[in-house]
Amino acid sequence: MAPTTGLKPTSLTIRAYQVGFGDCFLLTFEYADAPRKADKKRHILIDFGTTGMPNNVDADGQMMMVARDIEDRCDGKLHVIVVSHRHKDHISGFTTREDGKGTGDVIAGLKPEIVIQPWTEDPKAKDPKKQSAGKSTTDEALAQQEHSLEAQHVSALSNMNALSEAIQFEVSHLTSAKFMKGLRQDLAEQIRFLSDDNGVPNKSAVENLANMGKNHFVNYGYELNLSRLLPGIDFRFLGPPTLKQHAEIKNQSATDKNEFWMLQAAAQQFWSLQAATADMIGGFASGNTRLFPNADVFQDFFPTHNRWFIRQLRALRGDQMLRLVRLLDRAMNNTSVILLLEVGGKKLLFPGDAQIENWEYALHVDKDANLKLLKDVYFYKVGHHGSRNATPKTLWKNFAGKSVDKKKRGGRLQTLVSTMKGKHGHEKSHTEVPRTTLVTELMNLSDYLTTEESALSIDLKLTF
Amino acid sequence: MIPVAKPRSRRLTVIAQDPSIRVDGRVLTTEVEIPAEEIAPGPRGYRVQVVDYDTSGGVLYQPMEYPQLQNGQYGDPFKEDAQRPTNESLIADPRFHQQNVYAIVMKTLARFEFALGRRIGWSFPGHQINVAPHAFADANAFYSKRDQALVFGYFKGLSGQVVFSCLSHDVVAHETTHAILDGLRNRYTDPSSPEQAGFHEGFADVVALLSVFSLTEVVATLLQSGFDKERNRSDLISPEELTIEKLRDSVLLGLAKQMGQEMEGVRGNRAHALRRSVKLRPLTDKDDPKTYAKLEEFQEPHRRGEILVAAMLNAFLQVWRTRITQLERGRPGAGLDLQMVVEQGTDSANQLLTMAIRALDYAPPTDLQFRDYLSALITADKELVPDDSKYEYRKTLLKSFRDYGIKPASFNSADGSWEACNAQLTYDRSHFESLLRDPDEVFRFIWENRQALKLEEHAYTKVTSVRPCLRIAPDGFALRETVAEYIQMVTLQAQELQVFDPPIGKPEGMSPDEEVTLYGGGALIFDEYGRLKYQVFNRINNASLQTPRLKYLWKYGYFADKDDEQSVFARLHLNRALNLTTDASERF
Repeated sequence: MAPTTGLKPTSLTIRAYQVGFGDCFLLTFEYADAPRKADKKRHILIDFGTTGMPNNVDADGQMMMVARDIEDRCDGKLHVIVVSHRHKDHISGFTTREDGKGTGDVIAGLKPEIVIQPWTEDPKAKDPKKQSAGKSTTDEALAQQEHSLEAQHVSALSNMNALSEAIQFEVSHLTSAKFMKGLRQDLAEQIRFLSDDNGVPNKSAVENLANMGKNHFVNYGYELNLSRLLPGIDFRFLGPPTLKQHAEIKNQSATDKNEFWMLQAAAQQFWSLQAATADMIGGFASGNTRLFPNADVFQDFFPTHNRWFIRQLRALRGDQMLRLVRLLDRAMNNTSVILLLEVGGKKLLFPGDAQIENWEYALHVDKDANLKLLKDVYFYKVGHHGSRNATPKTLWKNFAGKSVDKKKRGGRLQTLVSTMKGKHGHEKSHTEVPRTTLVTELMNLSDYLTTEESALSIDLKLTF
Repeated sequence: MIPVAKPRSRRLTVIAQDPSIRVDGRVLTTEVEIPAEEIAPGPRGYRVQVVDYDTSGGVLYQPMEYPQLQNGQYGDPFKEDAQRPTNESLIADPRFHQQNVYAIVMKTLARFEFALGRRIGWSFPGHQINVAPHAFADANAFYSKRDQALVFGYFKGLSGQVVFSCLSHDVVAHETTHAILDGLRNRYTDPSSPEQAGFHEGFADVVALLSVFSLTEVVATLLQSGFDKERNRSDLISPEELTIEKLRDSVLLGLAKQMGQEMEGVRGNRAHALRRSVKLRPLTDKDDPKTYAKLEEFQEPHRRGEILVAAMLNAFLQVWRTRITQLERGRPGAGLDLQMVVEQGTDSANQLLTMAIRALDYAPPTDLQFRDYLSALITADKELVPDDSKYEYRKTLLKSFRDYGIKPASFNSADGSWEACNAQLTYDRSHFESLLRDPDEVFRFIWENRQALKLEEHAYTKVTSVRPCLRIAPDGFALRETVAEYIQMVTLQAQELQVFDPPIGKPEGMSPDEEVTLYGGGALIFDEYGRLKYQVFNRINNASLQTPRLKYLWKYGYFADKDDEQSVFARLHLNRALNLTTDASERF
């Protein structure tokens, strides 16, 4: 590759694909001044996944159309992939097939050079033992303790995946209409949707990403210089915080400086117990065993005086599982990479599905500096498909580009959401996605784009 | 044939603590005495029905069925199994689990009815509470009003063994207490302050822990096994093994031992027992009395409730220890008769438990604070036992609560009890007989006297209960009282909070048109002549109470999550395990 340092992009096209409930953005930077034709375009792919397509859209067909479009636009070469986090609606498109005809095979064929993922995906983070760095014994012990908890955190995320799978089994019991009415359909659908999204990620997608290019596992403040590959583009990472970084905020208000670590360890242990119990449920689902294998059970009917309560119990368990999968969902969302790109004097913010707890570090530690940094964001990819928890009000209020004036001097804030109504949450509990109150603000105060109405993609072109 | 009176009580085998507490390798069991009744398969009786449906496995287990014996008594089918050299078969039999929960729920309910001198209803419309001993695969157990139920989960513990929460005496007694307390004071589950939610948790722990002391054999066994395994069968016990510190560490004063061991590390588990609140550090003169109340970790209800448990249980230990010291008089250093030591413990625990339960009648029905409960404790006991000099329960309680920063709410009386009602009331339009049992009559009485009783005239007001009760004092005389309670509610927009005098503060960031509900209410204690003795109440128009309440609820996301339908206790347990808090002000 010819040296390209010193070049600057002259334009950028952000292409948001129609992937139903999911994210997929292709960023194409043009370098009009590049001497070689091969250097005139550079591409970053941010996420590629779905958990549900609009009615009458064939999911597999649509995803392959997206993959082929990316292939065409990249003209055989993709430079960087950013995977915000491991939810299916962000990575399912990287799945490969044995016959080499999967969407992930198409992407792998573009030979990306860099793959950026959150620190929680680093295989080294799973190892509970840290290599000694020649520090003093006390520092080393402390570092070891922190690393061990980070390993537990990563392991807890895996436990959450396992629990999601078990919940999918269990919901089939609850929806069974044997002897009586099953679980309410909308509740069961919510549980299925979230447990599917949080289930064990497709192994082939994970392996594909690990093998596609040089992997960078990032956290808040991670430094990455890609000026040779993507000249004129600055990368900054504002999340996710590591556990140690997160502890800095929590310990500010605690009297016991170990409190955060103890609570963290407790939470990880909770998920470990849940996973062990989920394993047991897996056995029940096969129908071969139950809690008391030798005890007599009702085979042909339930007594009438028990039926009301059994129905209540099923609904109660449904509520409980929904709450659990929402927690899993939140924990996984909070591993999202928050990426701030700066190019041609414009800032572009891609926060994945980061929720308030992920943002907390950036918006509390170095708060003033970060708020200043984020004030003049020009383009905002709306967090987590427009949910109520992923655009912190502190962040939103801080955007100077918001305006009712569509011709605002200096440029009105550009916002883009990839979403699909009716898939996640409901209005009654103010959890609908996209959240109505947020969409109203986006529409009133920014140039708002959504993938909802598009067939294949929508484009936003910025020139510098 | 001469008719034979039916027995009034029966005895059933239960697990004394939980399956982890063993003596000579056998699970420690005991028999508890409960009201006898015509029992149906389940067991299914007049207050409790066990339904053994497992939602995770999707199966309904066959119910426990008691064959009737010839003398009209139902037997205890597990009595012999419990006494065998190995009694593991109890753990493997779901029918024993069904009996275990049935018996402990019935025993706990009977204990409350004994203390209050009246029948107690559930807070839901129905006479029988449903109990699911194996409701789901999860390390959780809770009371659900919506489902009229107590539900107990099971999970795979750290040892790889399945842990059944329904086999833990403490867990079953704790959850039953939530249900009973909700029947007595149904506004205590309303969103209010960390202290009101903490009261539900702390009170349930107090009842669970003190209830164990009614089982004298169990206490004797655990005292011995805890201290000196070599002398397990001795009838004597050394006074050195009965220091407050050692008793505090004993297996008797930690909640849910097996769940604690099997959940090692999960929040709420301290030193193997799920909670060992009794070890919470008392404050010193150098500490700020609000030390605990100010700490972030004590905003979580279980943790806040531990303050109440620590105050109550340390008072109990103090009284017990004083009574042990009296046994030692004249025989320094000699071994003490174990049975006498145990009896002193069970007497003290029983008395404190009775006081703790009776105090509920003297507590305000909404927005309860620990200081209110302390005044209620003192007043309820003083009414029945004017002379406290023998064992000084009240004096000890006052000191113990002060050690944790809690002073009585009633600061005008010398002993911390509520002041007698001295309002100028009119009884002319009230009918004495009706006033002692009829909510409409009591409503008429408070309506006629609404100004004297300082009611908020523009609020919705309802008399929620009128309960005549009869209590027997230690001197044998009966105390007749009628306890009525009323609640007041007003729902308005946040911007209207400023109309109160003094204005109630709107939480920062709350939208002016956000709907908020303010609660007030009072307990009315009528004497045997139908005259009002006490009015224990919280006013709606009380900025010093309402402002922090709204601020707390706003900060912890109540307004954002108020449509969450899940049982308040289920959510509480999960949030505690995961240390979940929400900054609701950042949400859309």
